[in-house]
Amino acid sequence: MTSIDVQDLTKEYGTTRAVDQLTFSVVPGRVTGFLGPNGAGKSTTLRLVLGLDRPTAGTATLGGRAYATLDEPLRHVGALLEAQAAHGSRTARDHLRVLAASNRIPERRVDEVLAEAGLASVARRRVRTYSLGMRQRLGIAAALLGDPPVVLLDEPSNGLDPEGIIWIRELMRRLAREGRTVLVSSHLMNETASFADHLVVLGRGRLLADTPMREFIHARVEPRVRVRTTDGAALRDLLARHGYDAVEGEGERWIVHHARVDDIGRLTSGSGVPILELTAEEGTLEQAYLDLTATEAEFAAQSPTQPQEA
Amino acid sequence: MPFAPVLHSEWLKIRTLRSLVAGLVAVVLVTAAFSALAGLDEAADADFDPLFSAFFGVNFGQIAAITFGAQAVSSEFQGGALRVSLAAVPDRGRWFAAKAMAIGVPALAVGLLTGGVSLLVGKAVLGDRGSGLSWGEGLRGVIGCGVYLALMALFAAGLAALLRSGVATLSILVPFLLIVSFVVGDLSGSAADFLPDRAGQVVLHETADGALGPWTGLAVTAVWTGAALLAGAWSVRRRDA
Repeated sequence: MTSIDVQDLTKEYGTTRAVDQLTFSVVPGRVTGFLGPNGAGKSTTLRLVLGLDRPTAGTATLGGRAYATLDEPLRHVGALLEAQAAHGSRTARDHLRVLAASNRIPERRVDEVLAEAGLASVARRRVRTYSLGMRQRLGIAAALLGDPPVVLLDEPSNGLDPEGIIWIRELMRRLAREGRTVLVSSHLMNETASFADHLVVLGRGRLLADTPMREFIHARVEPRVRVRTTDGAALRDLLARHGYDAVEGEGERWIVHHARVDDIGRLTSGSGVPILELTAEEGTLEQAYLDLTATEAEFAAQSPTQPQEA
Repeated sequence: MPFAPVLHSEWLKIRTLRSLVAGLVAVVLVTAAFSALAGLDEAADADFDPLFSAFFGVNFGQIAAITFGAQAVSSEFQGGALRVSLAAVPDRGRWFAAKAMAIGVPALAVGLLTGGVSLLVGKAVLGDRGSGLSWGEGLRGVIGCGVYLALMALFAAGLAALLRSGVATLSILVPFLLIVSFVVGDLSGSAADFLPDRAGQVVLHETADGALGPWTGLAVTAVWTGAALLAGAWSVRRRDA
């Protein structure tokens, strides 16, 4: 079981603090979404985990070991950082052969991952001729090369067509089901909501949240129930008596704030108010995220131009 | 992690880039072509050196050699390629050593071939004027040519790692080799003798008239190359990828 453990991780570039005393763990068997706006420190954190950048303070380990101490690291950790990393004049297959050779990964694996990424037919074409989506697939193929128990993907759906987005979503879910540790950074909320089980949210280099996705949404978005009735007045009176606030929407639809279907359903069934439709309005990750960042922005506004806490 | 797979990987990187293979071929062709041209110039000169006439093309062939060395390293600094490389081989010292070996060994092999071809072409063009050359001198020239071109390729490789750019490396080295060294080189017997190219090319002359002999000259070039490689290794190890 290999987990990623980030402990008090800090990275400063000059006077800016890209990552600020970050502590979190990513455990195997689920997809962890790594969220935050551009510049929040997601990519920096991934580079620190991979030992590519040197932390100013703190540690990042994989199964208790620093990345740099791993023997044949591609067999432990697969990473997609940038889609442009493969040399344009090399063929996709040669790009992967080079990587495989350094970690003594058999060449048969190269063809396997190319097929898995849907690139088998274009494997001998130069990377220069690839679209962004194809380069992205090549980067993902490279991440899978060593059949690693830990997979890190930085914005994997960049440039992918709808078919590619479904593919990467299914792939990540499958990797997690196989018991691997999967960390996926993104700034796209709806996309992340479609595959993540757990969330780590960053804002300006700091940890804002580290919770299961469902909890994250439920804690931040008020539950609402939508009711369609032919007798609005009766419904409103009934709900008001029980402390609910119903607001009329369009076409006989009423929105009940801070309510769950279980409660509203029971109430209305006993009262004789004709109900045509009763729906829970699920909060979206986007709403929850915006709520979180709004709170953060408020906090930032209250402490203006606070330079750096030493 | 063991060294051999890393070296294998670095060698594959060179083999699979057409521009690098073309660069090595260019070393042979350019050197031989310019040596032949030099041999055709029959202007009798008091200090005519038949050996250097046969290796005259090295002045131009070395441009191809440094381009090869610089490009082999600078391809790592494009589009985050270095991150992929170092994620696969986190031991940066070992990685850079493998990179240098994957550049140096083919450069040496091609350099020796270049020396052989250049000597044959040169002698053929010179005809009688080259008849004074002994086999020993010829062999020294061929070996010297191989070692010199390999050292220059590695010198450029070290510099490219330090500057993290092939363009920057070449815009320093090419004018230096083509202009500065040519001009300053005439002031023989001075510190100019210790410039990397001047020192290393003594081995290509029949008679050495400066402070350095054929092999001490190459040793001086080797010191320059060693310094450039160490600086490059220091940069790769120290800086964020």
